[in-house]
Amino acid sequence: MRQFVLAAALTAAVAPSSPGQTLAQRVLRADGIVEVIYPSKPSVCGDGRGTISGLFGRSMYFSGAGGDNAVWNRGNASNRSCEPGPARAVVSVSSGEITRIRAYVGPRPADTRGVTTIETSAAEAAAWLTDLVARNESRVASDAMLPLLLANAPEPWPTFLRVARDSSRSRGIRHAALGWLGQGVSARLGIADSEDDTPDDEMRSQAVFVLSQRPKGESVPDLIELARSPKHPSARRAAIFWLGQTGDPRAADVFADLLGLR
Amino acid sequence: MRRSLLLSIPFVLGGAGALTAQSIADRVNAVRDGIVRMSFSSRPGVCGDGMGSVWTRNARGDTWRACVSGPIRVAIGRDNGSTISVRTRVGGQWSASASETDLGQVSPEDAARYFLRLTRELSGGGRNANDAMTAAVFADAGDISPELAGLVRDRDVALETRKQALFWFGQGDAPTKTLVGLYDNLDAQSLREHFTFVVSQRRDNEAIDKLIDIARGDRDSDVRKQAMFWLGQTKDPRAIKFFHDILVP
Repeated sequence: MRQFVLAAALTAAVAPSSPGQTLAQRVLRADGIVEVIYPSKPSVCGDGRGTISGLFGRSMYFSGAGGDNAVWNRGNASNRSCEPGPARAVVSVSSGEITRIRAYVGPRPADTRGVTTIETSAAEAAAWLTDLVARNESRVASDAMLPLLLANAPEPWPTFLRVARDSSRSRGIRHAALGWLGQGVSARLGIADSEDDTPDDEMRSQAVFVLSQRPKGESVPDLIELARSPKHPSARRAAIFWLGQTGDPRAADVFADLLGLR
Repeated sequence: MRRSLLLSIPFVLGGAGALTAQSIADRVNAVRDGIVRMSFSSRPGVCGDGMGSVWTRNARGDTWRACVSGPIRVAIGRDNGSTISVRTRVGGQWSASASETDLGQVSPEDAARYFLRLTRELSGGGRNANDAMTAAVFADAGDISPELAGLVRDRDVALETRKQALFWFGQGDAPTKTLVGLYDNLDAQSLREHFTFVVSQRRDNEAIDKLIDIARGDRDSDVRKQAMFWLGQTKDPRAIKFFHDILVP
């Protein structure tokens, strides 16, 4: 009997879909590691180990072990394996509570022993993740943002804006929402990949960075002005990025405008 | 006339000092193997704990640590007739040791000249050159900024040593105009990047002007960026105007 239980635990399990159970309930029912698999946006690809590309221009994100869900850079991904979706939200569940979510796209690991797998639609995954972003008070809310963005579902910007504007939410969660909103704004404006093509561009981006390091009372108005100004795309992209990093509630209003959501 | 007189005084002093500094060198070089130690009085405001921590007394004061203002103690390691280590401490006492050669209390002026020369000779730079320069800078030896400027300009000196000399030059009493004048001698990019930090610590109009000048015109973009970074740290209105000017031409 004991051997049977062990064997069951060591084998990847596909959680059966019970009528009337929500995805959230199915996830919480399975203590341990749960992977929720759902269709990702067509543009997105990944290496299956945490590196994800194609979400916003050429930006890359890393969500694997040892990293936070929202670490990004603009490195060259051409030498990395980047395979299309689906997306996987790998959830750590302990005593009926989600403690961590990591997002993956691309090949699944060969060894999935002890992992409960749930396959679902993009809409159902997005609804579940939206609820986590909107209501969870721990880091899980921030963790859920990247897997939500990966889902082949409508953009979650209204939810992110509500979170960014909600002073009752923790600073970390509001910061994370603003950071993603900034990425979304740059993508919508078509400047997500704007590079510093000339020495002047480079200097302007550095000037934006330097201004962003000043006290918020001085830096935020400058960053807002630059974020609204289309004259120099790479400086604008930098201003939007640093505005998102300030965590200042005024940034949410600017991003809402630029996303056409006000 | 005034200029040649001024020039001749340090030369004479330098010559006389060189003899006595030479005597320190002779006494150190006479030790083939082992440790040579000496002590000398420190510049006012230099504090230490005798264990290697050194700081300068600032206007705000430091109520957490007692300032032990000297002496400067230096231990020089010798091996097969070469200097292989230099360790500098401020305050504290030597432990009793019969095997070490103790030169006792030496003149701080002689010590400064000796250690500046040693800094130059320790061609690899590193901690030994660092400690030798620290010993010279902390010695109660008057103005050594011309010697530091000489190290900064000398392309035969290790880059790290030149950077350190630049730092101490900036920390000294030489006017900002003189510090700014060193910039044109800075061939290496990393030296010019370091210069932007050093000059930024002056916080006066000439320093701000120079940083803006570098941010606008240095041949290397990394140096220009570094100048912009330090300009931003100054909070000077002219710096902010400079940023606005380049962002909204």
